[in-house]
Amino acid sequence: MNNTVMTAPSDNNSAEAPEPAPLFKPPREKFLSLRGTVSRTQSTVLGLLGVISLFALWEIAHLLTPEHQQKFLPSVGQVTNKLFYLFTEKGYFADVGKSVYRIYLSFFVACLVAIPLGVLMGSFIKMRALINPTVGGLRYLPAASFVPLLLVYLGPTDQAKMALLFLGCVFFLVALILDNIEAVPQALIEAAQTMGAGRFHIVFRVTFRSAAPQILDSMRNMIAVSWTYLVIAEIVAATDGIGAVMMRGARFLHVDVIMGGILTIGILGVLTDVSFRVAAHFLFPHTRARR
Amino acid sequence: MGIFQNNDNAAHHVALEAAQKEGTCPLSVNRATKEYLNGERIAVDDLSLDIKEHEVTAMIGPSGCGKTTVLRLMAGLEFPTRGNVESFGIPISGPAPERGLVFQAYTSFPWLTVIENVQHGVAIQGYSKTEQRERAEHYLKLVHLTDFANAYPDELSGGMKQRVAIARALAQDPQILLLDEPFGALDAQVTWEMEEMVVEICEDTNKTIVLVTHDIQEAIYLADRIIFFTRQPGRIKEDISMEFKKGRRFKRKEDLLSEPGYVEMEKHLYTLMREEIQGPPK
Repeated sequence: MNNTVMTAPSDNNSAEAPEPAPLFKPPREKFLSLRGTVSRTQSTVLGLLGVISLFALWEIAHLLTPEHQQKFLPSVGQVTNKLFYLFTEKGYFADVGKSVYRIYLSFFVACLVAIPLGVLMGSFIKMRALINPTVGGLRYLPAASFVPLLLVYLGPTDQAKMALLFLGCVFFLVALILDNIEAVPQALIEAAQTMGAGRFHIVFRVTFRSAAPQILDSMRNMIAVSWTYLVIAEIVAATDGIGAVMMRGARFLHVDVIMGGILTIGILGVLTDVSFRVAAHFLFPHTRARR
Repeated sequence: MGIFQNNDNAAHHVALEAAQKEGTCPLSVNRATKEYLNGERIAVDDLSLDIKEHEVTAMIGPSGCGKTTVLRLMAGLEFPTRGNVESFGIPISGPAPERGLVFQAYTSFPWLTVIENVQHGVAIQGYSKTEQRERAEHYLKLVHLTDFANAYPDELSGGMKQRVAIARALAQDPQILLLDEPFGALDAQVTWEMEEMVVEICEDTNKTIVLVTHDIQEAIYLADRIIFFTRQPGRIKEDISMEFKKGRRFKRKEDLLSEPGYVEMEKHLYTLMREEIQGPPK
């Protein structure tokens, strides 16, 4: 800056440096101080504590169950042993792989449909007027009610399962992406216009680019919904996939297999979530400072 | 003039030729009326105004006087209900890079670094990669942001963000720079620095500038001419030439304060402002 203008006198205490004032000891922060602060270590420890508590509660519930009914609530150890058995002896890897494949492929197709639709509607109000009443209404059709229809149309195929997963999330995804696009500040669009940017430049390189981190966030939230639909998709006429393994377990009252399946889906869900966050970290470096 | 005076830009040439035609000026508002809510609210009422080339014109007035609306009409972001707005004799039909605009809101693109932001506007004008870089570096230097070229806007202070916006608007080589309360969100000390920077920019580029502000001192300091607006509906109350400055620009704001005529001008504008807010003196 123009340093002739704004400099403060600062060299009046340089003669002899006095002892610095003693460090101030702030009052100890209570565990439940309002809002408060949390260090990285603290949040890791607390997070782990939460997970361990959940498993501890499970284990306690198991121990409190009368012995002759304990097979209906197996212990953490029994379930993990069963999972190990499933992986090593029963080819569970193939089932997990199949489920992951169905989730990701169906979700990928849902994004291929939802992102262009959301961007189109969010950018052009008349397209929104044309499409949104219909697509918005479709959200209220429960995806599970499509199961019989898909069974008639597609039979006990992979496509039927992926179609259900697709229907379960695509309409919500459109709505979320529409919101993300509409949340782009009007001033950014106007700024681009005064730079001489055309409509397509603005749609792809301003609005979409500006909303991209939020769109990825919407995707992360919706793929979680996809995971919740997995078992419904794999309940009917499925021979493979995590859901099918669980249903087979149910037929023989193998609660440990069912709980193992639930655990697997939970872990895969968390891994998916983490992978989206990692992707965001690398794709959108400008959002790092804010997180 | 610097190397970026860019005389080979075709659009620039066309407009310059047009400007030399008799009776055309960079911006001319002809009996423009802007109504909102189907005429329930009249923001601008039958307003005519010619902006002179290479002058800094400040539009000032109380809140809700339509000064920002007039600027948006000039930018082409809105259209008048009646009348028209012309630039170099050509009716304005939408936003164009010849009329660069700096908004009060922060409009740097958060996903681009500072230098990429400035380059973005240049790229749209169709400059080559090396020219883009050169122009961006030149204008970043002009706004004293060279050291922050690779930072993201979210890492900058409010004043720095507005400097990015100014550099970006200048780098697209507009004939007219429109400033819409650009320092409205900044604190007093940063505003002061920014005002002195605008004076530097005037010296360096000799741009035609239209500034919307509600700050009387700022208007006097920066402008060659002040248009004072009445409140609802927006009309021109007074068109005041800053003759007491004798065409000089003051690098340091305090040098202006001791200039003969300054105090009278400031007092006059405060009187006008009070009249608009409280009605005529009893």
